[in-house]
Amino acid sequence: MTTTLVFDALTKRFGDTAAVEGLTATVHPGRVTGFLGPNGAGKTTTLRMLLGLVRPTSGTATFDGRRYDELSAPVREVGTLLEATGFHPGRSARNHLRILSTAAGLPPGRPDQVLELVGLTPEARRKVGDYSLGMRQRLGLAAALLGDPPVLVLDEPANGLDPQGIRWLRSFLRSLAAEGRTVLVSSHVLPEIEQTADDVLVVAKGRLVRSGTLAELQAEGRGGTTVRTPDGERLAQALADAGLVAHGLGSDELVVQASPAAVGELAARHGIVLHRLAETAGGLEDVFLSLTGQVQA
Amino acid sequence: MTALVRAELLKLRTVKLPLWLLVTALALVLLGVAATVLTAGLEGAPLRRDDPQLMARAVANASGGNVVVLILGIMVLTQEFRFGTATPSFLVTPKRGRVLVAKLIAIALVGAVFAIISAAVAVVAGALLIPFKDGVVNYDEQVLQVLLGAILVMVLYGPIGIAVGALIRNQIAAVVGALAFTFLAEQLLIALLPSWGKWTPGGASSAVLQLGDLATTRGDLLPVWGGALLLVAYAVVLSAIAARLTLRRDLT
Ligand SMILES: Nc1ncnc2c1ncn2[C@@H]1O[C@H](COP(=O)(O)OP(=O)(O)OP(=O)(O)O)[C@@H](O)[C@H]1O
Ligand SMILES: [Mg+2]
Repeated sequence: MTTTLVFDALTKRFGDTAAVEGLTATVHPGRVTGFLGPNGAGKTTTLRMLLGLVRPTSGTATFDGRRYDELSAPVREVGTLLEATGFHPGRSARNHLRILSTAAGLPPGRPDQVLELVGLTPEARRKVGDYSLGMRQRLGLAAALLGDPPVLVLDEPANGLDPQGIRWLRSFLRSLAAEGRTVLVSSHVLPEIEQTADDVLVVAKGRLVRSGTLAELQAEGRGGTTVRTPDGERLAQALADAGLVAHGLGSDELVVQASPAAVGELAARHGIVLHRLAETAGGLEDVFLSLTGQVQA
Repeated sequence: MTALVRAELLKLRTVKLPLWLLVTALALVLLGVAATVLTAGLEGAPLRRDDPQLMARAVANASGGNVVVLILGIMVLTQEFRFGTATPSFLVTPKRGRVLVAKLIAIALVGAVFAIISAAVAVVAGALLIPFKDGVVNYDEQVLQVLLGAILVMVLYGPIGIAVGALIRNQIAAVVGALAFTFLAEQLLIALLPSWGKWTPGGASSAVLQLGDLATTRGDLLPVWGGALLLVAYAVVLSAIAARLTLRRDLT
């Protein structure tokens, strides 16, 4: 019971604003797919169209060929967490989940189980109006997990979470994907995606500008080498003579746009002592900025 | 559909608003009964203190909370948009019309509960106050008919509120509009143009009770069944319009 999501020429215009324009992409089961884009790129609008909350101007978004409103038991098939999902401030978290669970015909024990899963059990009976941002986010995640669905669609799930929460979320999403589920996560926090995603979709100004595996995109970035040496000035000079671009990170550390092998061999030829030589995987940010910048330019 | 109705009832049971509105409705019932009974026999009052209709008149106030139920219906719907709970509601049930129908049924059930408590309060208050004024407490057929009519009115006003809320979506606009309509526009129309006024929801509820403000111009009222059907028609037609127009809007 795995599910593939397909966006086909999905388009949404709000008056003159083209929020999403001809977006075509596939999201595969068993993988975490990061949905990246700068503010206003159309991520939320795309996800809301996928979930039947916003009507596409044209195109489709489907789960194994079915639109969201054609799913027979949506809560059991797709778990969702959206930005600005509402809670009645006077209602407790537990009651909020009981309502969703009742409407979806789930077993009565489910709300308490998911509250436990997201670590909200001690606060379950408090009014949501008194919750912190992170607690609301956890409640939203609990709601997404109610139906134990094979698909998760999460819009900026790390918003407001503390470091423990973020780490928990990361490993949780990885384990969900490892179980064969389809996980689509939007974010503009790149390091978060780099640590979580297998595949990446990049949107800018409503258009898909790149899709691929995370590794592919990272490799496209000007990947480099971090090198530490007690002899920073000489190494910098040697690199410059060899025509390599390097940036200093403090007096004894440099980031070089070259492979570790090239940097190591160069240092050996000049007899420069190295204390550290490591590949940096900081490529995604470069790719992201150039991809999304291109569209803006 | 039963699951959805149960979820809607759970929504109502897990917030404080319905309780406060019930208290408000009962206060209106008590005020109404007291006003009816205590003014009886005063100069210019429509009823004598020994009027055989006095008890029926008193218990007709059991429908005094109809506007409160209308407001509850409006709030139930508009709060979903105000607090953004419409998003989870429609995620669980993407066929939005089904959510609307579940709300219509749930509010009718809640209206029935409000109505039965209101009826009990009206009967007790009438029975206690009338002897105090040396009036006659007549438990005749008319009392029963009026009580059933009041319950019916209360049951049917909630769905109208849901429909109005779905059409207008903005809570303040819908509540203020509904109050202005029931307390101003409708009253004026009934008073000035009874032949038109009988087609308003207020005119229809007077018809169901066969007692209200139009009792003196009885000939202008619809029959009981006509009033009840008219109230149902208001709820159904307004809901259908809302389902077509406003409910399908994008939730961004
Ligand atoms: N209801 C609406 N009416 C008009 N324009 C809208 C509406 N909703 C979104 N937009 C516009 O559509 C574009 C995409 O917005 P969207 O919220 O999908 O972006 P996003 O990628 O989720 O941004 P963020 O990272 O800030 O959450 C923006 O230009 C936004 O102003
Ligand atoms: Mg967004």
